[in-house]
Formats: sequence, structure tokens, C-alpha cells
Amino acid sequence: MKKIFSPRNRGYLFANAFSITAIGFSAWIINTWNHEGPNGTFIFSEFIIIPFVMGMISSWFWQKENISSRQLINRSILNGIITIVLSAMFLGEGIVCLIIVSPLLIICISAGAFAGRSMFKEDNSTLNSSIFAALFLVFITDSISEHHYQNMVSDQLVINATPDKIWKNVVAFEHIKEENKYWLFKVGMPSPVQSTVTGYHVGAGRKCIFSNGYVFDEKIVTYDENENLTFDVTHQPRDPEIMGHIDILRGQFILKDNGDGTTTLTGNSWYKLYVFPTWYYDIWAKSITRNVHWRVMEHIKELSEAK
Amino acid sequence: MFWFVVRYLGFLKHIPGLGFVFDSWLKISTLLTNPLLLDLIDEIEHDVIRWEGVTITLHKYGGIQFNYKGREIGHIHGNGLLDMLLNRQLKQQLMSDGKIQDHHVFKNTGWISFYIKTTADKKYALELLKLGYQLRRRSFTPGSDHQSALPTVIAVLA
Repeated sequence: MKKIFSPRNRGYLFANAFSITAIGFSAWIINTWNHEGPNGTFIFSEFIIIPFVMGMISSWFWQKENISSRQLINRSILNGIITIVLSAMFLGEGIVCLIIVSPLLIICISAGAFAGRSMFKEDNSTLNSSIFAALFLVFITDSISEHHYQNMVSDQLVINATPDKIWKNVVAFEHIKEENKYWLFKVGMPSPVQSTVTGYHVGAGRKCIFSNGYVFDEKIVTYDENENLTFDVTHQPRDPEIMGHIDILRGQFILKDNGDGTTTLTGNSWYKLYVFPTWYYDIWAKSITRNVHWRVMEHIKELSEAK
Repeated sequence: MFWFVVRYLGFLKHIPGLGFVFDSWLKISTLLTNPLLLDLIDEIEHDVIRWEGVTITLHKYGGIQFNYKGREIGHIHGNGLLDMLLNRQLKQQLMSDGKIQDHHVFKNTGWISFYIKTTADKKYALELLKLGYQLRRRSFTPGSDHQSALPTVIAVLA
């Protein structure tokens, strides 16, 4: 029993017990004050402040062991892995979400562990209490604040065909057989495979089908033949892999005749994020959206350039 | 990557805590690329803390900071970069042997930078820190002229 509750294990145990409690508390505050996301919003504090304090808590239990920096980082990584496994169990997060969140989580736990080690060496309880109080204040303020973030990603591709040859492939396209190149698609993130329409006019329904069978229902809002196809996403699946943390709001294809037998195809997507901080998650959101664009646009290019 | 962040994202260092997070990332990268360096930094910390009047705190932009009576001697980032404030004359003399560099941000000042990578570098870093320590000590001694000690110290380092 003594071995199970050794200072080392208590460092992991109490840090993770704290994280579960704090995330539950934060979710309760967010849902009480401002329910925004389909699965709730995950805020800055849950990915920065909580892991940072987790690292500090662990350091408090490990302070008498006099461990090296190398050991402290290794333990922080293990602490992060435990948290990730718990997130998969309690929050039902998918593998891709966990891959995305893990660097941020481990870095913040490690930062907290080093900060804690330095703080507890000083043994200045007034300073230490002030730091914890300041972090708690940031946590509460962040939890009750409104969180709203939208962005747009744009990509361009030149196709060796005229707009009239490309247009039908833009509106709807057959199954993509090309193997996925993007590493997140390879590890299980759904990728687009097919698009269908109910008609070739404004108001027609469009479906974008993904590799795992999920369907995004869309409605065409602009239909300027050979020039502009814009559609709003009316319904999207709730999947533990990303979806639920990001909503695709609108998609658009713009065709520009270059006058030399080629066309510049522009793909635009508007999305809303439910995970913060955006300086971290927007990098991933852009990367994923870009790769969805590229997969579809390269398929359109291939179909349009085929003799 | 360190230089990219310092050069283009350096303004973010003023966000409280972000420096610690960045330094933590540096340490994890170091663990993956040169784990021995983490031990060398620990050994430096272990040696310097024994010097009379020295305290160790977290540097405000990440890393460990060595102080003498509340005045900074120098700090080491998670990638083994030692930054120290000497003076221009001393810096000029030390730079001539090519081991130290201009500080990675504060050019044309008394600040220097030195990359710790090997056990030999650790030894040199300790000598540099000792030099900074002696300068701080002398500045706290009434009536002392710390410039007068420089030739001896430089001779030791050379």
C-alpha cells in the first residue's frame, strides 16, 4: 500500500484528480453562464492553467525526492499520458483530438512542474499562495467569459481546363480513390470522399460524404454557373474526432478563367472553433481545412484534366 | 526554431507565463535531442547554488536565473543558452577568443550569450558565471573597483 501511495504516485494521482475536478467545475460554469458549443466549449484555462497547476501539484509531492530535470520531464510526459487516457475515458475524445491536444498538455504540465519545483524550493508560502490565487482568478475569469472565434481558409489551384469543363466536377464529384497523403487522415481522421447534389440551382441540397460514412448536409446559396458555387452547411455529424470542436459554416468554390485554357480554382471555407486558445488550435484547424480543400480540389483537377 | 521564436514572436514574452511554457518546450526538445544537456544544466545549478549569497529563481522569460543579493548574474534557457550581463570592455575581450557571442536580443550591450552543449562547455559556463558572480560581489563591496579584477579573471578564462 505504501508503494502505491508513494510520493511519486501521489504526484500523478492528485494532479489528475485535480484536473478531473477542475474540468468538471469549469464545464459547469461554462454551461451555466454561456452554453455555446454543441459539446460545450473547451477554454484556454482547461488546456493551459489546469495542466500548469497539475505540474505544480506533482512537483509539490516530488520536492523531497530531489529529482533531475530529465526525470521531471519524463514524469511530466507520463502525467500527460495519464491525463490523455482519462480524457479518452471520461470525455470520449477520439484519437485525433488526443494527438492534437497532447503537445500542449505535456508542455504545460512540464512548465508547471518546473515552476513548482522552483517555487517550493524557495518555501515562500505568501508568494506561492499569491501565484495559486492569480491562476484561480484567471481560471474563473476565463470560464465566465464569452468565447467566440470564426475564421476562413482559402486555397488556390490552377487546372488545365476551361471553367465549363470543371464546373460539373465542382458541384458534385464521384468517389475519391486517391490514397490519403495528410498524416491526420492516415491516423483515422475522416477525409472527404464524395459529393452529391439534388439539383443544379440555388436552394438545392448538397451532401459531402466523408470516409467514415459521415455526411455533411449543405444547401446551395449561390449558383453562378462556371463562376461561383457557395453552400451553407446545414447539418454536420457529431464525431469525437474533431467534429464537435469545430463547425464548418460555409464552403465556396470560385472559378476564374485565365484566358489561356487554364482556370484558377479557389476553395474557401468558413469555420467556427469551440476549443481555445485559438493561437494553438487554429493552426490545426487551418491545417485540417487546407488538407480537406487540397484533397477535393486535386480530385476536381484530376477529373477535369482527364481526356 | 528558437531563433525564429525570439525574432518573430519575441513580443509574446510579455504575456505572463508564456516564457515558462516556451522554456518547457525547449527542455522537452532538449530531452529528445541532447538529454545530456539537461544533466549539465542541473550540475551548473547544483554548483552555483553553493556560492555564498546566490539564489536561483525562474527567469521571467523562461529558464533558471542565478542572482546575487537579488541582482541577476545570468540565466540559462532550456536549450542550454546562457545569457549574462558583463560589461562592454569585458565582453569585447571575451569575444575575441570566439567562444561567446553577442546576446541573442540585446546587441551592442554588455550582455553575452554562450551555448552549452558539452561537458567542456559546462566548465566554461561555470567560469563565466563565476566571473559574473565576482563582478556582482565587488559591486556590493563599498569602495571596490571591479575593473581592477578583470585581468586576473580573463587570464583564468583564456
